[in-house]
Amino acid sequence: MSKDLTSGLFWFAIAVFVSFEGFTKLKLGTLRQPGPGFFPFWGGLFLGACALILLARSLKSRERLGSGAIPWPALILVLGALLGYLLFLETLGFVIVTLLFLLALFCFAEIGWIKHVACSVIATSLVYALFKLWLKVPLPSGLFGL
Amino acid sequence: MDIVQGIFIGFQVAFQPINLLYCFVGVFIGTLVGVLPGLGPAAAIALLLPSTFALTPVASIIMLAGIYYGAMYGGSTTSILVNIPGEAASVVTCLDGHAMARQGRAGPALGIAAFGSFIAGTLSIVVLTLLAPLLVKVTLSFGPPEYFSLMVLGTTLVTYFTQGSMVKALMMALVGVLLGSVGVDSISGRYRFTFGIQTLMDGVGLVPVIMGLFGVSEVLLNLEHLASQRAVYAEPTGGLLPNREDWRRSAMPIARGSLLGFFLGILPGAGAIIASLVSYATEKRFSKHPEQFGQGAIEGVAGPEAANNAAAGGAFIPLLTLGIPANPVMAILLGALMIHGLQPGPLLMQRAPDLFWGTIASMYIGNAMLLVLNLPLIGIWTRLLRVPYALLFPFILLFCLIGSYSVSNNVGDGIVMWVFGVLGYLLKKFDYEAAPLILAMVIGPMMEEALRQSLILSAGSFATFVERPISAGFILAAAILLVLPLFTRRSVVAKT
Repeated sequence: MSKDLTSGLFWFAIAVFVSFEGFTKLKLGTLRQPGPGFFPFWGGLFLGACALILLARSLKSRERLGSGAIPWPALILVLGALLGYLLFLETLGFVIVTLLFLLALFCFAEIGWIKHVACSVIATSLVYALFKLWLKVPLPSGLFGL
Repeated sequence: MDIVQGIFIGFQVAFQPINLLYCFVGVFIGTLVGVLPGLGPAAAIALLLPSTFALTPVASIIMLAGIYYGAMYGGSTTSILVNIPGEAASVVTCLDGHAMARQGRAGPALGIAAFGSFIAGTLSIVVLTLLAPLLVKVTLSFGPPEYFSLMVLGTTLVTYFTQGSMVKALMMALVGVLLGSVGVDSISGRYRFTFGIQTLMDGVGLVPVIMGLFGVSEVLLNLEHLASQRAVYAEPTGGLLPNREDWRRSAMPIARGSLLGFFLGILPGAGAIIASLVSYATEKRFSKHPEQFGQGAIEGVAGPEAANNAAAGGAFIPLLTLGIPANPVMAILLGALMIHGLQPGPLLMQRAPDLFWGTIASMYIGNAMLLVLNLPLIGIWTRLLRVPYALLFPFILLFCLIGSYSVSNNVGDGIVMWVFGVLGYLLKKFDYEAAPLILAMVIGPMMEEALRQSLILSAGSFATFVERPISAGFILAAAILLVLPLFTRRSVVAKT
């Protein structure tokens, strides 16, 4: 499948869903008194129309997504670390998740494990000092009260 | 005499020590953001927005604005020395700026970029100062139909100025409009597209979306280049001051760049990037030696750098006079104003003259600070550029995480950021642009309200949009822009 075909289908599906929701659940209202579904319905309709134009054009295009171009392991590690940070932020507390997060992501720097750990610890302390002590951003302390 | 009085108030506000301090902090962070590739002003301002909640509205807008135009200065440094644009609007500066650096003329290249930026930045603020109050007088008479038509024109302009497919840009704008409708409907009070998720009840947060689309996704894209080392560094040797010949060659490009940049900056979607590209193309055409372009022609540095700074000034026009953002950065500034309880638009000048004029006045001061700050600190910036990206990106992500969480102490906003980080990555991979989405997401709710109010006022007749002359003009212009590309090939960008 070409890039435009894949993405066109995706947006078309979104458009159908939005218009359908706008029409059935939210209600269009009348032209004198447009309801909450009026704008999403028409927005969805226009999006769907554009998606169809794109789909029609995509039949000619052959441009595919080069699968070799995506660095899967790095991508998954980074996205996983981000998600993990968010999921455990309130239970483990800001300090612990930040330290774990940096320990995980400094892997890419390839600086040897002593520097790796030292950098993570120092960076965590600096970030803690900056946000919690200086800017007084309320960040969760979590389970261990750190 | 309004303007003289206004500027007087403005400088009184801007010269208060606390505001001077935040102006300095803003332009300093802006330069830093500009220098660092992979972190643009939109993401940076979104990151810092929560930390400005405690400040006065004036101080926070002064600082956030400083980040924006400061980034325009900083971007050129990286382009010239490392041949990587530190900021998207400095892409063309790489061509001749880095060529100059390889010839041992990095100093004058950096110098002319800084002076050109200063001159253009200051000129654009002068025009902003003179033009904004006049425009406010015009826009005060706008009713919902005019606003709706204007926003239709704005959205059309955004898609017209896209660098890729116009259909795709239009789709992004529509997706943005639909995202803007998530949350409570302001007229009926009904929830829309919230799927029972608490975080979505107030709508999709602009800050996490911008951090996702411009911060996280940028890092994800850069993961591909982690292994490959940065390009060759050029050290700025000798003096930074351009010589007489450099000045002679740069004077007109700076003047033309300022003018072009300012007016392109006003148009939604055009902004600093297009301004710099158009300026480069223009200078090449005006030049007696077009063959020198790409080989280190100083005109190719002076013009675009002037243009992108002037565009930063122009972009404030629609925000301050209409309450409509011209680019993603202005969208966050709009959000920032609203967080502080100020409604941007034609009434802003009357209701908050200290903020309106204080921000404008601070930009004169900020530009002067940047000129002083930039040249002597080049050494620090080059050292910073030597920090490997593998050590840098965890911090960018960490700041995004903390920033998105601290908007309202809600992990849900972080999740929104994560989702939009992934979406932004996919959009890039599938050749979509994120900017129309952001603009439309902000404009969408205003557009919907204006449309529904217009229809209520006109008792359900769409004719109201073409019967009122100003509104009809906007609609006509939008229609022309949509139809035009069918007949002529757009080539604003292709020419460079």
